[in-house]
Amino acid sequence: MSDIIAQIPYPLLVFIVAFILLNLTLLHVAYLTYAERKIIARMQQRLGPNRVGPRGLLQPIADVLKLLQKEDIIPNNVDKSVFKIAPLISLVCAGTGVSLIPLWEKFVLSNLNVGLLFILALSSLSAYGVILSGWASNSRYALLGGLRSSAQVISYEIAMSLALLSVVLMAGSFNLQDIVKAQVASPFKVYLIPQVVAFFVFMVCALAETNRVPFDLPEAETELVAGYFVEYSGIRFALFYLAEYFGMVVMSALAVTCFLGGYAGPFEVPGLPFIWFLLKLYVLLFFYIWVRATLPRYRYDQLMGLGWKVLIPLALANLFVTAFLKLYL
Amino acid sequence: MSAQDLAFYYLSFAMILSGLFTVFSRNPVHAVLSLLVLIVHQAFMLYLLGSEFLSAIQIIVYAGAVVVLFLFVVYLINLQKEARFRVFVRRFSLGLIFFILFGFLFVKYFVLIFSMSTGLRTLLPIDPTSSQALKMMARYLFTEYLFQFELIGVILLVVVFGTVFLLRKVKEERVG
Repeated sequence: MSDIIAQIPYPLLVFIVAFILLNLTLLHVAYLTYAERKIIARMQQRLGPNRVGPRGLLQPIADVLKLLQKEDIIPNNVDKSVFKIAPLISLVCAGTGVSLIPLWEKFVLSNLNVGLLFILALSSLSAYGVILSGWASNSRYALLGGLRSSAQVISYEIAMSLALLSVVLMAGSFNLQDIVKAQVASPFKVYLIPQVVAFFVFMVCALAETNRVPFDLPEAETELVAGYFVEYSGIRFALFYLAEYFGMVVMSALAVTCFLGGYAGPFEVPGLPFIWFLLKLYVLLFFYIWVRATLPRYRYDQLMGLGWKVLIPLALANLFVTAFLKLYL
Repeated sequence: MSAQDLAFYYLSFAMILSGLFTVFSRNPVHAVLSLLVLIVHQAFMLYLLGSEFLSAIQIIVYAGAVVVLFLFVVYLINLQKEARFRVFVRRFSLGLIFFILFGFLFVKYFVLIFSMSTGLRTLLPIDPTSSQALKMMARYLFTEYLFQFELIGVILLVVVFGTVFLLRKVKEERVG
C-alpha cells in the first residue's frame, strides 16, 4: 500500500487527500443537520424527521436533492455578481479551516507555523459573505442582518483571539500540531483545566462567530425574517446553511485542538487513530445543539455589552495572569 | 518556468488588475471589493516569499478589519448621486503634476531596489523564511524597536481619541 502511495506525485497526493477530507467533512456537516433536528426534537418532545429512510437517516440527502432542484431565483434589482459570489465566500472561508486542524499525530493537511493565525484570518474573512449578501440583496431586512452580523463578528473576534493567545502563550507556538504536543506534555494533559476561563470565552465567541443561538441576531427570524439570506433560494440558500455548519465543525475542531488535547486520548485504540478527536468533536457539537434548544436569543445591546464589557476584559485578565504565571513559575 | 514563477506572475498580474479596478470602478462597493481581492493576493505573495506570519497578519488586519470598516462607511453614506459623476477631478493639470511626481518617485525607488536586489535579503536583520523568524521578529520588536513600536500604538490611540472628540463636538453643536 505504501509503495503505491509513494509513486503518486506529491501535488496530486495532496489534492486527493484534500478531496477525501472535504467529502468526509461534508458528510459530517450533512449529518450534523440531521443530528440537530433529531436532538432538538427529543428535547422538545417531538419525533423529528422520520419519514425518509430508516429513522429518517436519509433526510439530509433528500434535503440536498430538493434544494438542487429548486428554481434559482435572482431578484430584479440586486447586484448580480456580488449576489452570486457572496455564498461562495462564506462557504470557502468556513470550510478551508479544516485543512489546518491536526486530526492525528501523523495527519495534518497543511502544517503551517502560524496555523492558528490562519484560522483566525479565515474566520474574519467569512464575515464578508454575510456583509456582501446583505448589501447585494437590495433589501432592508438583508441589509440590517448584514450590518448586525459584521458588527457582531468584529467585536467577538477580539475576545476570541485573546482567549486563544493565552493558549499560544502556554504552548509557546502558533503551530496547532505543537500546541497539541505541548498539551500532552503539560501536567494536566489538557489546557481545559488551567485555561478554563479562556475555554469559556472561546466557546461563547465561537457561538457568536458562527451566528448560532443565542447570538443569531443576523438571521433572527422573528424580526428580520431570515436576515442576510432572505432573498436567496435553492442551492445558494443551501450554501449559506452549509457555511454555518462548516463553521460549527471548524470552531469545535479548533476548541478540541487548543483546549481538549486534540487527537490524544487516555489510551491508544488500535486501528482507529481518529477516534479520540472525533469523540471530543461530537461532544462539542452536541453542546452547540444543546445550547440552541435551551437558551433564548439575546437583545442586540445585551450582545454588544456582553462582548465588550464582559468577554474582552475577562480574556485580557486571563491573558495577563497566564503571562505572569508563565514568567514567574 | 517553475510553478513558483507561474504563481508569482499570476499574483502580480492579478494585483495590478484589481488595483486598476479599485481606482476606476464606478460603484464604491465594487471598488472596495477589488481592494479586498488585491489584499488577499498580496497576502499570498507574502506567503510565497516565505513569510507566513506577515501573510496571516495581512489578512487579519487589512482584509479582516480595515476593509470591513471601509465597507461599513460605504454602506452607511448614500453614494447614489456621486456614482453618477462622470469624473471626480476636472483639473487635468493637477492630475498631470501628481502623475509626474509619483512617477518620478516610483522610477527612482524601482531603480534603487533593482540595483541592490541581490543583496536585499542580507540587509534584513532576520531571514523571514526560517522557522525561527516569528520569535526573532518578536524579539526585535520588543527590545531594539520597542520605542518605535510603542510610539505607533500611542499615535493610533491619539487618532481614536481625536475622532471621538471631534464627533462629540459636532453632536453637541447639533443638540445645542
